[in-house]
Amino acid sequence: MTAYNIGDQLDSFERAITLTDMVAYAGATWDWHRMHYDTKYTDEAGLGGPVVDGQVFGALFVELLQNSFGPNAFVHTLDFTFRNLMFAGEVLRVAGSVRSVVDNMVGVDLAATILASEFGPERASTGSAGALVLLGVIDASAVDGPSGSER
Amino acid sequence: MTLLTDDIRSMLGQRRVYTAPEPIGGAAFRYFSIATGDHNPLYYDAEVATAAGLPGVSAPPTLICETNQYADVPMAPDGYAGHTWDIEVPGTRKMRGGNSYTFHRRIFADDIVTATWEIVNVEEKMTGSGAQMLVISSQATYTNQDNELLAVNAESIVFVEAVVS
Repeated sequence: MTAYNIGDQLDSFERAITLTDMVAYAGATWDWHRMHYDTKYTDEAGLGGPVVDGQVFGALFVELLQNSFGPNAFVHTLDFTFRNLMFAGEVLRVAGSVRSVVDNMVGVDLAATILASEFGPERASTGSAGALVLLGVIDASAVDGPSGSER
Repeated sequence: MTLLTDDIRSMLGQRRVYTAPEPIGGAAFRYFSIATGDHNPLYYDAEVATAAGLPGVSAPPTLICETNQYADVPMAPDGYAGHTWDIEVPGTRKMRGGNSYTFHRRIFADDIVTATWEIVNVEEKMTGSGAQMLVISSQATYTNQDNELLAVNAESIVFVEAVVS
């Protein structure tokens, strides 16, 4: 039994992602592609402005999940597709709801939405997105089993 | 005309392996935490981590799936210095399709990560508007110095035929 029920809403949050944040993320991940910070490059490429690295959405989904389910939960799977570009200075709303509960495994539907800005109306940054979270474990070894991993 | 040429088809099964030259280190976890605004103490406070039953601070899960730090390849003119398959398909627009991560265990500061990339599928499809589309699916498997499976990252790159009006 868990304390979660299908349809439960996770505590959503909004996060502005500034050009400074994007430079910091580029440094943290060693991804120095100019599309993420160089306006001359993005102008020449017709992109409209520096583009937020798509993997940021994954990091923010994990933040939502880990904060919602606590330190004794393990994010086992996370899937998302890309739909729209997000630009420097825009604000992302990250949300989720419980899709399934089986034993200590909670399935979550996720959504990342870019709020309306000078770059365009409100729009989804990701398409279908979801995760499977394991409760009360430090990793997925119980799911993997002795033959399910290469340990 | 097909986008799925023999050259593209021959890439199926190609692999590239990148091993970090040193342990990933707790500073990388703290930097990533600050950069993303995710101030979960599991990533930088050993006391909180041990209280949660962990041996120490661990990485924000998606960090190790950013493989540039292991790749050790020269920086391209666009600034990118990471893994790439160097696929160019003339007359198409290149887009990222999505990611599917499976995390098997937490990554700790003393882990030395190896990323093994492989092209697992190449296929041609049609968009809803009738344009040809080439989908390259690849998978990265992350292991540590003890060959423990850490995570798997499946991702796709899509090349969509540019429509000439």
